[in-house]
Amino acid sequence: MCDSCGCGDSNVVPFEVHERLLAGNDRTAAHNREHFHDHGVIAVNLMGSPGSGKTAVLEATAHALGREARLGVLAGDLATDNDAARIRAAGIVAESITTGSACHLDADMVHRGLHHLPWRTLEYLFIENVGNLVCPAVYDLGQDANVVALSVTEGEDKPLKYPTMFRKADLVLVTKIDLLPQLDVSLDTIERNLKAVMPHPSMLLISSKTGSGIGEWIRWLRGCGTRRLGACAAAAGAGAAL
Amino acid sequence: MHEYSLVQAMFDRIGEAVRANRALAVRRVHVRIGRYAGVEPELFRAAYDVFRVKTFCADAPLDIEDASGDELLLERLELEVP
Repeated sequence: MCDSCGCGDSNVVPFEVHERLLAGNDRTAAHNREHFHDHGVIAVNLMGSPGSGKTAVLEATAHALGREARLGVLAGDLATDNDAARIRAAGIVAESITTGSACHLDADMVHRGLHHLPWRTLEYLFIENVGNLVCPAVYDLGQDANVVALSVTEGEDKPLKYPTMFRKADLVLVTKIDLLPQLDVSLDTIERNLKAVMPHPSMLLISSKTGSGIGEWIRWLRGCGTRRLGACAAAAGAGAAL
Repeated sequence: MHEYSLVQAMFDRIGEAVRANRALAVRRVHVRIGRYAGVEPELFRAAYDVFRVKTFCADAPLDIEDASGDELLLERLELEVP
């Protein structure tokens, strides 16, 4: 007998679920996270718009940290191997996850991608998500930290237009700051907008081209390595909190 | 357009509920979507309408309840049982 909706239909029964729609993805993400923790791998989910400089950040990271730490990358890409090829050319292992028309990575894609990387030997695994400021924020991949690349060429109001993405970020890398002299963009306004949406606002100003800020980014990563387990935001708080 | 993959995941869960209860059909689906869930409710509804054709949800209206956080929940179903 249905008592919940008043329809009076004796053959209709309520069934309470109260479960996340992505419970299946969450289970796989927890499985990935357990793998990473068991093997001492710090996993960083790098998100951002197409063209925000995600791959360039990883190239700069490879040059700055690749000799002293074992790094690897899973690069989400709709149709090509271009990003992974660029990262391999920078000297670290990288594999593509070709998503076809899918606009985001999910935990299962990452799990399958791991089979093509020597991930157990890594200290840092970067998961370069598909360029998109909407969908990737919804899917847990098993990462320790969410990092969002926001280039100065994207303007000042992206945090306000895409609050879900920036609310999930442990750190925002404001990229391409070498272009600031050519742009009518205020870093103060970007900072104010990030503060408006991020629970624990944290950003670093970097240029992958000139190397500016890359040292701070590496220190932030090292903070993740030493504090681990959800402490990346706290690590950032030591030097980059807004 | 991840709303389609979310609806696919929801149909997987609904299918489990249908089998577990030996239900004949689903009469109503109730979800809760927060404003920071990263989901556009009308796109979610459009995806649901595409998916439900000729399924156990064919005649099941979709109720979408608003929420203030990042909730993305399948709250309850109404199932037609023998």
